[in-house]
Amino acid sequence: MHTDRSRKYLNPYIGGVLLGLVLLAANFVSGRGLGASGAVKSAVVSGMEVVAPSHVAATEYYQNYNASHPGGLFKNWLVWEMIGVLVGGLISGAIAGRLKFKVEHNPKITSKTRVLFAVLGGIFFGFGSQLGRGCTSGSALSGMAVLSVGGFVSMAFIFGTAFALAYFARKLWL
Amino acid sequence: MNMRLKLAAALIPLGIIIAAVPENTTKPFRLTATQLLDEVKEGAQFITTDQVARMVIEKDPSLRLIDLRTKDEYDKYHLPGALNIPISEILSAENEDIIHQGTYMNVFYSNGTTMANEAWMLTRQLGYVNNYVMQGGLNYWAETILSPEKPAETSPDDEFARYDFRKAASGALGGGSLEVKTDDAAAAPVPAVQSRKQKKRVAGGC
Amino acid sequence: MGPLIVYEQISSQTNLLLALVIGVGFGFVLESSGFSSSRKLAGMFYGYDTTVLKVFFTAAITAMLGLLFFSLFGWIDLSLVYVNPTYLWSAIVGGAVMGAGFIMGGFCPGTAFCAVSIGKLDALAFIGGLVIGILIFTEGYPLWENLYKSSYLGEPTMNSLIGISRGVFGLLLILAAFGMFFVGEWAEKKFPRDEY
Repeated sequence: MHTDRSRKYLNPYIGGVLLGLVLLAANFVSGRGLGASGAVKSAVVSGMEVVAPSHVAATEYYQNYNASHPGGLFKNWLVWEMIGVLVGGLISGAIAGRLKFKVEHNPKITSKTRVLFAVLGGIFFGFGSQLGRGCTSGSALSGMAVLSVGGFVSMAFIFGTAFALAYFARKLWL
Repeated sequence: MNMRLKLAAALIPLGIIIAAVPENTTKPFRLTATQLLDEVKEGAQFITTDQVARMVIEKDPSLRLIDLRTKDEYDKYHLPGALNIPISEILSAENEDIIHQGTYMNVFYSNGTTMANEAWMLTRQLGYVNNYVMQGGLNYWAETILSPEKPAETSPDDEFARYDFRKAASGALGGGSLEVKTDDAAAAPVPAVQSRKQKKRVAGGC
Repeated sequence: MGPLIVYEQISSQTNLLLALVIGVGFGFVLESSGFSSSRKLAGMFYGYDTTVLKVFFTAAITAMLGLLFFSLFGWIDLSLVYVNPTYLWSAIVGGAVMGAGFIMGGFCPGTAFCAVSIGKLDALAFIGGLVIGILIFTEGYPLWENLYKSSYLGEPTMNSLIGISRGVFGLLLILAAFGMFFVGEWAEKKFPRDEY
């Protein structure tokens, strides 16, 4: 089983070096690191403008966001980067023959449970990424590359909390 | 040899090299007179009263207002959250940590623009960054933020938008109660909104 | 000299195009390293699969070394590169909330997008959760504004905090990373799990 897996996926150290080079390129070209949750946030704000324009106009937070992110959804660096991620993932998945619609889950739990916890995890992650000013890629990984204290703190608390709670969530994964 | 050892063989020597060489500090510590003149001509040190008001209302934690007037004047009135460093003490040792730092955006102000601009030139000549000047000083603050004037009916829309913002800011910051004093050498000039064309960091983040 | 966008060697349109290209690279590497599988991601916390640890730290030290060397050669001005500002308490609380989300959802935002691209429906559910989580934050913003803005420390870097040069800190980080990789490979042998 181990040999099978190592054939399927890239060696993690090679993957890491390549990911590091992508991050370096982002810093060299655009002076910034990678990110993910910011793209979702941009989409959320744009979506709110369509659904409830008067509410957005009346809420200070959205106004500040729009003032600091002029041009909207398609002028946002992170949005284009995440579109790229979808394309890149698709290419890699197609080459390795991994394209398939499925809910990946531990056989001991139902796919309904898996989806429920995925949504719940997403809510926590979405909220936390806003409070912590960035997710694993935006704050922890990119922050560590530029030696930012904030990046190291985020990294320590994301992984530390996940480790600490791993015992309670063991039924989901083991 | 497994990949971890190969990678270690490549990265650890590189790490030792980078630890051994001195950091590349291409930036001059002090500015020459010509460089300073270029910056003065560019006028990038100026922050408008609107920008300051917005940051104060948003409670932007990176903003640090520095009142350059005397202690008496400071006690009588100062902007919310401002520190008091009379200009005669701007170069004293205990203030160095405040004006030479990389954490906050320091905004100098006095009654007019002159004193703040002098303070900025002193600190900038020493090579310090992150210090700015509130254009027009408190006089212009009173005029624009505390008691903004309604634009003429024929004014363009953005004039009205600015007026609305100023009126709202005035309410939030307790408008109308400021006595305007003009002992500063220069009366407030009418500042145009400066285009802040300076090499700025990219705003990033997730 | 970089960053290219700051020195106006490329236009903002080109910058967005390059964002797309960088994103393709990001997605490709994530997917081919196995980050499209929540099982692999969660494996790190039970020791059966430490791919995440290896990829994450190798990427961080590679990019860091690259930046330090680029700076040494004068190719990039590090003072113009975005350094995440540090707000201590919001980083701690935000990080802890994200950690809880990680262990429940099995993804982080970047890997969820990568997993959606190859058809993982649980990742789609995770992204739906992200939208809800962000909405809760933006709608309730006044409630946590104080926490969000508390204990602002500027943009300190680890080396300046400890008082050593960037290079020395870089070397220490590289050594620490290899130490963790060693522990990770040991854990994988100790806690093996079957694929599903």
